[in-house]
Amino acid sequence: MSLYGESRDISLFRHINRELMHDIISQQVIYYKYNLEENTVNIYGETTSGRIFQEPVILYTIIERNDNTAVLEDGLPTLNQKVVFKFLRDDLVDASVLVEEGDIVQWQNAYWEIDNVISNQYVVGKDPLYPNTDSTGTNPLESGLENFGTSLSIICNAHYVPADRVGIDKQRL
Amino acid sequence: MANISIYDGTSLFYPGATPFGFYDNDYQFQTDADKVVTFSARRLGYPIENIELQDLNFYAAFEEAVTTYGNEIYAYKIRQDYLSLEGTPTNYTSLNTDVIQPNLSSIIRMSHQYGTEAGVGGTVTWHTGSLVVTQDQQNYDLNLWAQDSASISTTDRIEVKRVFFEAPPAITRYFDPYAGTGTGTAEMMDTFGWGDKSPAISFMMMPMNYDLQKLQAIEFNDQIRKSQFTFELVNNNIRIFPIPKVSGGKLRFEYIKESDRNSINAPGTSGGVSNVSNVPYKNPTYSEINSIGRQWIFEYTLALVKEVLGYVRGKYGTIPIPGAEVTLNHADLIAAATLEKGALLERLRGYLEETSREKLLERRALEADYKQKELSLVPQPIFIG
Repeated sequence: MSLYGESRDISLFRHINRELMHDIISQQVIYYKYNLEENTVNIYGETTSGRIFQEPVILYTIIERNDNTAVLEDGLPTLNQKVVFKFLRDDLVDASVLVEEGDIVQWQNAYWEIDNVISNQYVVGKDPLYPNTDSTGTNPLESGLENFGTSLSIICNAHYVPADRVGIDKQRL
Repeated sequence: MANISIYDGTSLFYPGATPFGFYDNDYQFQTDADKVVTFSARRLGYPIENIELQDLNFYAAFEEAVTTYGNEIYAYKIRQDYLSLEGTPTNYTSLNTDVIQPNLSSIIRMSHQYGTEAGVGGTVTWHTGSLVVTQDQQNYDLNLWAQDSASISTTDRIEVKRVFFEAPPAITRYFDPYAGTGTGTAEMMDTFGWGDKSPAISFMMMPMNYDLQKLQAIEFNDQIRKSQFTFELVNNNIRIFPIPKVSGGKLRFEYIKESDRNSINAPGTSGGVSNVSNVPYKNPTYSEINSIGRQWIFEYTLALVKEVLGYVRGKYGTIPIPGAEVTLNHADLIAAATLEKGALLERLRGYLEETSREKLLERRALEADYKQKELSLVPQPIFIG
């Protein structure tokens, strides 16, 4: 029988996370969701009229930055930097943002493209989206698992993308 | 997803918002409740930081603080006056506002036991009994007598307190010519042939010390020259001396039933105060608590709120945040709350102790001493007549 991690506890975690991320850390990014429907591609899978994104959304996040490095590409130095954006999943739910690879995150005046999305930080090891109920809505071993645990975070590994490759003009904000 | 609201900087007290509702209808309590919420929240860092509590948590702490304050006050009063309160009726509505008149009831009740044993009072009845003395029988079993004649249960016993088996008082033989005291004059008068010249009874007034010596002489004489009236009493078996020469006389005695002595119910206290739990003190009336008391209550409320907040923040040792964990200040909160609660209670108890009857009388006596000392420094005018 589950005792810990009930929705009341999760609510406490949410309050504390939001206080920490919104009021204390207060790191914000602008999230550009790639709009698959609006993008048209040619037979090679290349966009023909630039990449099209949905309306940007400002999100709170915790940013883990790695040092930038410069590598030569085509004889020109190119900035390379890996960044990890850590989102509170409930913030994303409230903003109706589904984080996926290929989306763009703007932080300060730079852009990062998401390479990998990690969603496995389960509080008390449970995700309430999987209560393992049968067709009648009951779990033969234990009922009410939909009220326990949570998937707390969405962690995105991203790499630096030059602004000209993203094609997002500031005035489009 | 469930979203449990936390304190948002506003609160509005309503009757029923506290767990027990002891003071909910007290206007002053209602007024102060929301002020206490604001006070406590701000002392804990709001609005800079969130307070993961609801107004109900604050109200519960406030109610507990008032109750604790009342408990301390009235527990102290009970300790102070318990000797006067024990045994008094419990059907008083409340003693909260009464000034207790000290009395000696408990002291006297405690002294009854000595009176019982000494036969000069007490609460155990002394019964009288008697048995018929049989010729030539020297030993009598009073246990057997008690079973037959005293209507006691088989598990009970009697304890003989007094046996009326003594020689006649010496005074009855004051004029006995055979007592050997030389005071009897009738025989002497007869010897001289003057018996018919003397009145039937003649007395001679003697000094009191003479009478006492004479009575003592009679008793000594009986003790030394005769088989004196006496007895031995062991385990309620009595042996009387001298051996009875005739049957029919009665041996009288007084006794108590041990069950009466063992009775633990003090007479006249049935339904009265029997321990500190039924002394009729009630919770205090909040509106009658002065500002000193209220400030103590506010501070104690803060300590309680701090404690609750510590428990809330500390249910999980660490709180998960995206990609990491944080440890909140629950340990500090609980430690501080424990310390503050203890200090507040100690301060209040010290304050109460300073106002105990003993301390107040001490202070009065000290003041009187100092006054005398000061007055002694005033120059005394020299009276010249």
